[in-house]
Formats: sequence, C-alpha cells, structure tokens
Amino acid sequence: MTLALMQPVELSPTFLWIQHLIEAIGIGGMWSIVITYAILAVVTFGVLALLALFLVWWERKFAGHIQQRFGPMMTGWHGWYQTIMDAVKLLQKEDILVVTRDRMVFFWAPIIAFVAAFAAYIVIPFGNGIIVADLNIGILYIIAITTFTIISLLMAGWGSNNKYALLGGMRSAAQVVSYEVPMVASILTVVLFAGSLSMVDIVDSQSGWFYNWNIFRLPFGPIAFITYIIAATAEANRTPFDIPEAEQELVAGFNIEYSGMQFAMFFLAEFVNMFTVSAIATTLFLGGWTGVLLPSWMWFLGKTFAVVALLMLFRWTFPRLRVDQLMEFSWKYLVPITFANLILAGWMKYAGWYW
Amino acid sequence: MSDSSNVIKDIFVGLKELILGMGITGKHLGRHAVTLQYPVEKMEMPERSRGIVVLLSDKETGGLNCTSCMLCMRACPTAAIRIEAPRDENKKRQLKSFVVDNTICCFCGLCEEACNFSAIKMAPKYEFSTWTREELIWDKDKLQEMGRDVDYVDTRKKKPAKAAAAAPKADAKAEPKAEAKVEPKPEPKPEPKVEPKVEDAKPHPGADGDSKENEEK
Amino acid sequence: MTEVGLRTEEFQVNMGPHHPSTHGVCRLLLTMDGEKVVKVEPYIGYLHRSIEKICENRTYHQCIPILDPFEYVTALSCNYVFALSAERLAQIEVPERAEFLRVIMLELNRIASHLIFFGTTAMDIGALTPFLYGLREREMIMDLFEMTCGQRLTYNYIRIGGVSKDILPAFVPKCRETINIIKDKVDEYEALLNGNPIWKARTIGIGPLSGEKAIAFGASGPILRASGVKYDLRRDDPYSIYDRFEFDIPTRQNGDVFDRYVLRLEEIRQSIRIIGQALDGIPEGDFKAKVSLKFKPPAGEAYTRIENSRGEMGVYLISDGTEKPVRVKTRGGSYNHLQLIPEIATDCLIADLVAIFASFDIIMPEVDR
Repeated sequence: MTLALMQPVELSPTFLWIQHLIEAIGIGGMWSIVITYAILAVVTFGVLALLALFLVWWERKFAGHIQQRFGPMMTGWHGWYQTIMDAVKLLQKEDILVVTRDRMVFFWAPIIAFVAAFAAYIVIPFGNGIIVADLNIGILYIIAITTFTIISLLMAGWGSNNKYALLGGMRSAAQVVSYEVPMVASILTVVLFAGSLSMVDIVDSQSGWFYNWNIFRLPFGPIAFITYIIAATAEANRTPFDIPEAEQELVAGFNIEYSGMQFAMFFLAEFVNMFTVSAIATTLFLGGWTGVLLPSWMWFLGKTFAVVALLMLFRWTFPRLRVDQLMEFSWKYLVPITFANLILAGWMKYAGWYW
Repeated sequence: MSDSSNVIKDIFVGLKELILGMGITGKHLGRHAVTLQYPVEKMEMPERSRGIVVLLSDKETGGLNCTSCMLCMRACPTAAIRIEAPRDENKKRQLKSFVVDNTICCFCGLCEEACNFSAIKMAPKYEFSTWTREELIWDKDKLQEMGRDVDYVDTRKKKPAKAAAAAPKADAKAEPKAEAKVEPKPEPKPEPKVEPKVEDAKPHPGADGDSKENEEK
Repeated sequence: MTEVGLRTEEFQVNMGPHHPSTHGVCRLLLTMDGEKVVKVEPYIGYLHRSIEKICENRTYHQCIPILDPFEYVTALSCNYVFALSAERLAQIEVPERAEFLRVIMLELNRIASHLIFFGTTAMDIGALTPFLYGLREREMIMDLFEMTCGQRLTYNYIRIGGVSKDILPAFVPKCRETINIIKDKVDEYEALLNGNPIWKARTIGIGPLSGEKAIAFGASGPILRASGVKYDLRRDDPYSIYDRFEFDIPTRQNGDVFDRYVLRLEEIRQSIRIIGQALDGIPEGDFKAKVSLKFKPPAGEAYTRIENSRGEMGVYLISDGTEKPVRVKTRGGSYNHLQLIPEIATDCLIADLVAIFASFDIIMPEVDR
C-alpha cells in the first residue's frame, strides 16, 4: 500500500546492480530502494566533499599563478593537501559562541547552508546515466533547493545578535534574491528548447555534435548563457558581487560571528555552491556529459571545471560592485534582457521558426 | 531611440572591455612565477647591501682592525654602538668592549662611512632572529666572528715596512697614529682633542645606558 | 533618508586604526544614516614617532637617516629635502654628477610610490590582482636601489652635498631596461582597468574635488592637478636640475577618483621620460661635495620644498650655527589632504569613502611624523 502511494523515482540503470545486491543479501522491497538511495547519497556527498577540497586548493593555485606567484607549495607537491591541513586547523579552533545569540537559529544556519549546497546534486547528471535520481522536475528542484541558502544567510545574520552581521545578512539575502530572477529566466529559456524540466532530457536534447549545445542556439543561447553566468556569480557570492565577504567594506557580512568548524561549513558550502552553478551551466548550456572518445564523466568534469575557471578568472580580474550598483544592475539590466530573451525564444519556437 | 541604441552599444563595449581585462590576467597564467621559494631558494644579496654590523679583521694577522677612534660611535644616530676603550700607559686606547645593540640599530650605514680603518662594515647578512632580546646585543667577539667571512676592500694606507713586521696589536695601533698626522682634514682628528669631547658630550639619547656604563668604568 | 512616520537614527561606526585598507593607522569615526556616511572624523597620532624632536638632538648628518621614515614610501625625497635645506643654508655647491644621480633616484622613487598607489587603490576597490602586479614592478626598482645604496626602503642615500655612493657601471643599462619594462606595464594596467565598466562605475564621479576647494585646503601634488590646477613645483619653483629636462605636467578636470588614478599613471610615464633623459646625460665628476663631518651651517632659517609624489614636501630648518639644528619642521602633503576627507566624503556610501580615501594616497607617517 505504502509502496503504491510512494511511487519512487526510477533508479538510473547504471545503479540497478546496487539494488540487486541488496536484494540478494535478503533485504527486499521498499528498504532495498531506500538503502540504495542512501548509499548513492553518501557516495555523492563523499565525492563532492573531495571536489570541494580540490576546488579550494585549485582556486589558491589559480590565483597565485594569475598574480605570478606560486600559491601553496609547502604541504606536499605544490601544496596539494593544504586544504586538509586548513580543515584540521579549523577543527581545533575554539567555537566562540556569543552569549546573547539566538541559539537555535545560530546553530542551524551553517548546517542548512551546508545541506542545501549538497542536496542539489541529486539531479545533476555526472555522466551517461550517472545520476542519483532523475526527477522529472529536475531543474525546478535545483532552483528550490538553492533558495534554502538565502534562509541560511538570514538565519546567520539574525542569530549572531550583531547589527553588522544582520545588515550583512540582509544585504546578501537581497542580492541573492534579486539575482534569482534573471537566473530562473535564463534557465527557462533552455527549458523551452528542451521541452522538459528533467535534467536528463535537457542533456539528451543537446546530444549529437557539439553544435547542438544550447550555447550555440543563436541568438538566444549565448545571451542566456552570459546572463546565467552573471547571475550565477552573484548567487555564489563571488566577486564582482562579493559584498558579504569583502573586508574593505565595513559591514562585514553574515559570518563574522562564526569561528572554527561552523565557519568552515559556510566556506565549504560556498565552494560547493560554486561547483553547483557551474555544473548547472554545463548541463544546460554546454551539453552536459556529451562528447566523443572520452568517458562521459570526464567530459562533464572537464566542462564544469572550465566554467569554474571562468568564475575564478572573474574573481581575480574585476573590481567589486557597490551594493546599490549591484541591485541596479540586476533589476534594470538583467531582468529586462532575460525576460525579452525568454519571450522572444518562446515566440519563435512556438511559431515554428525554430528547431 | 538614441538612448536605447546607446545602451546596447554600451553593453557591447562593456562586455568587450571585460573580456579584454580577463585576457590580460589570463595571459599571466602562462607566465612563470617571479617569486622565490624562500627557505629553499635564497636571493643573491648585492655587495653593497646593508645588513648587520660586523667588525672586520686584518686579512693576514686576524686581529681586529679597530683602533678605538670612536668615530662610528659618534656617527651612529641611534646610539646602537657602545665602545669602552680606556687609555693604557702609553696614552693609546685599548679596545676593551665594543657592543652593538641590534635592537636599536637602524641599519643606516653611517658607522661604515665614518670609519677610516676598514674596521666596521654593514655585511649583507640578514637572518638573525632570536628568542630573547639579550641575544641580539652583540659584543666584540661575536661581531668579529660574524665578520670573518665578509669580503672587504682594505682602505687603510699600509706602510710596507711596518705591514710585514710587528705583532698584530702594535701594528694596528701604530698605523693610525701615523695616518692621523699624514691624512688631510676633515675626517680624523689628532688624539688629544678627542678625549675631552667623549667625556663631556652626551650626543646620544638613551643616555641612561651610556651613563651607567661610564659609571661602571 | 527618513520618510514620514519612519523614525531612523544615525549610528556611529568606528573604522578603527587597524584597517583592511592599507593606508597606515588612521581612525575614522563615521556617523552613518543607514548606508550613507553623514560625517567623518579622522583621529590621528597613532604613528607619531617624534621625529622632529629627535632631530634636534642629532647632528645634521645623523638627521638624514632619522628623517628616512618620515615618509617611508618615498624615503629619498625625505632625505633630499633636508639635504637641500641644509645646502641652502650653508650655500654648498653640489656637483653635476650628484645632481643627475639625485634626479634619477628621486624619479625612480616617485614611480615606486605611484605603483604602490595603483596597487592599493585597486585592492580597495576590489580588484585584487593589480596589487601584485604593481609590487612586481616595484621590486625591480628596489633592486636598483639595493644595488646602489644597499637598502630597499630606508635608503639614507642622499647626503648634504651630494649622494653617499657612486652608481655601479651596471646601473645604467639595468635602469634603462627597468624603465622600458615599466613603460609597457603601465599600458597593461590601463588596459586592465581603465575601460572596465565596473571600475568606471566605481570611480567616475565619486568624490569630486573642485580646484578652489583644493587650493583652500592647501592640497598639492596629484590631487591639485587632478582638479584642474596646473601647479607642479618642479616647474613653478624649480629645484635641482629639473629645468633642464623636458616633461609634461598632466592635469585632469573633474577631480574625481578616476581622474586622480589616471593622473598618477600618467605621471609615471613622465617620470620615465625624465629618467631616460637623465641617464643619457650623466656627466663625470664627484658624487659628493666636500662637507666636513662637523657640519655647521651659518645661523639662519631656510624653508625648502620639493614635489613629492604626494604633494609638497618641505623642511623648515632653523640653525644657530652649531652642529645640531634648532628646529626641523617637516611638512607633508598628506596632512592637508586628510583634512579634505571630511569635506568630500559626506553623503556617500562606505564603499565610496574607501575609494576616495584610497585615491587621495594618504600615508599616515607623513601625517603623524
């Protein structure tokens, strides 16, 4: 009865062997599905945690080489385990807890940020069939999950009982919310071309040679890509939109009262977020895992790292926008452009003048 | 309409500039780093580099070149050099103690410029961190040891007869007296005038340290 | 920005002595209304080292290294202005070669100072990379200094009557190579930032300063020239041998952050021109006039001023005929410029205040001495 009502999402064919293995052990029915999904989620979490550590290291090396210096060099060959040492250092730091904080809110903010960052990976296809759950509302699920980060920012700002943290939290929440709109509009343009919200379908609509990628569906593809990348940089709180993290701005940001591991959770969540938006960009615009010769997951990772490199190049080249200029840019420039793009794309597609 | 066409042109020009900027920073990814990995790779210090103060020794005999003329002590703007050189029975100064306080020294090099006997130099050496301040106050022996491997140009005028013969101390002391009379002004002063100046004048601050030492003497 | 029925309150924020914007230790007490800065009160004195008083107990030769950290970014100018003052008092004739060497070193120091300005301003506005680019070029200049006088920051190179050491033969080709590299790099910096729409949005129109106000507050140097007043002491009150070189005095009209930034990059180019001309014509000769170790200028007073990279730097020297000066009063441009900040930076956001403060190129050792 419960099974009929639940209607679980179909397990991707590449992972059916896990379910069979569990059934072979003797656990059957609903539990085998639940345990399979649990194993997949843990594996995804593990892979992503490693990727986050790698990304932190890579950002430091990238920044170093742009500035004609080396970056971390002492911990291992070219400093490869620098992030691990930093994490160990942060673990041993004292958790300084402000007495007047709002306990529940203060405690749960980093956890929600962390969980929301990782939960989006359930629907991202890492390769041909390598996806934890192919929800038929794939991209809508991702948009919904990334809004949880806004809640965690506000909670962090409120729970710190510090007027500057509150101001910082409100500013970053305002920034993220106002850049959600153009991001969603760019995503909807792609959904129009694919005709479905499911990530697997979106990638399938770009299969074939690389000129099938959504970025090449002129003129709407490139515009949607550019506006998506800009909105994604703002979502990930990175320069040129990094008001919450900038030390030169006085109002320091929502995470000033956090120390030790809680700070590390926000920090890692930010890097995972960056990887998320790049992965979405790859899936939606650059053809996901499609490609010749190499295994599909290699193509996916390669393309995603290319987009991540683009985001890092933004950070180390451009100055920072002022808060009011940031909001003005979003509402006065990005929103009209993306909506015009969406409407024109929809009109042309449904008038039959487009493929 | 001109407004909106301006806006569109602005957007394209802006995008082009942004991409050019990214191109410039991206080009640096291909260039080699200009930094040195410090503890492993060290830079060659130029020969005139002003590091710590060292006392130079004679290349042949190994004795200190210093003749206790006190010119460096008087030239030092921060009173980092303290010299004790009482006169012996021949009315010549014998160098009893020569202390350089590295916590006060400002590495200006005026002592090196004032010295006529190639006795003191700012050597191009630089790694001397210690855990206590007392270890940074160096006496004559430490300064001489630091100066042993420092290459220097000996600018003293050696009379060939005297350079070959004689013991180190007598050598070092006999020459400057001869030089003091030979060399033109203004730098070196004849001996008798030096004495009253040192006792009276307190040219330096931190005079507490100085006066204490004078009292002990 | 209060509306009817909505009560707002101004609050005070301390932009404390320790700043992330690296201009030294200066405390700014900001009174803010929401995001806008209503009032700025600077509090100074955190870097006071009583240099002027210390100089009263030192001989003239010893004063020069004491005055080095008066403004340590352009330490050579500090040495030079004091030496010039003493030379004017005692009517000392400086040999030609020494004058040429002095000009080359002073202009190299000006370039190094403007490179620091470029790096720190870019960093304050958010672009983190140009700081390292500026410092990379400055390293080359500091290598030149280290080759000649032995130090990279507090040079103690200029003496009363000349310079302390002659240049090595390898100096001239290395200097030419350095200025050629820097000339190309300045073009690269301008290409990186000048046209960038984000940079323009952050700097154009921010903190405009009119020429009259600048003159009224005694501003000098690039700040005055960016507001349209064409006044450069190298032209209008020439010292040393600057009247023999051909160079332009760039000016800009608006006096906002962008103009001050572009003007200083343009000044780097003009300094490169001067150095090129000077390198071509270094005569042979002495590098220092014979000045006695017991230098006693005649009793009198002299005020000399030079065009430092931050404005007018001056030393007012009172001597009574003994070997120690009676009074060494130093004047630095940043002291006056800091007083312009409360005038200019009202009714702006904090981000703009940071940009304006960076563009004024205020160095706290010059303010506090």
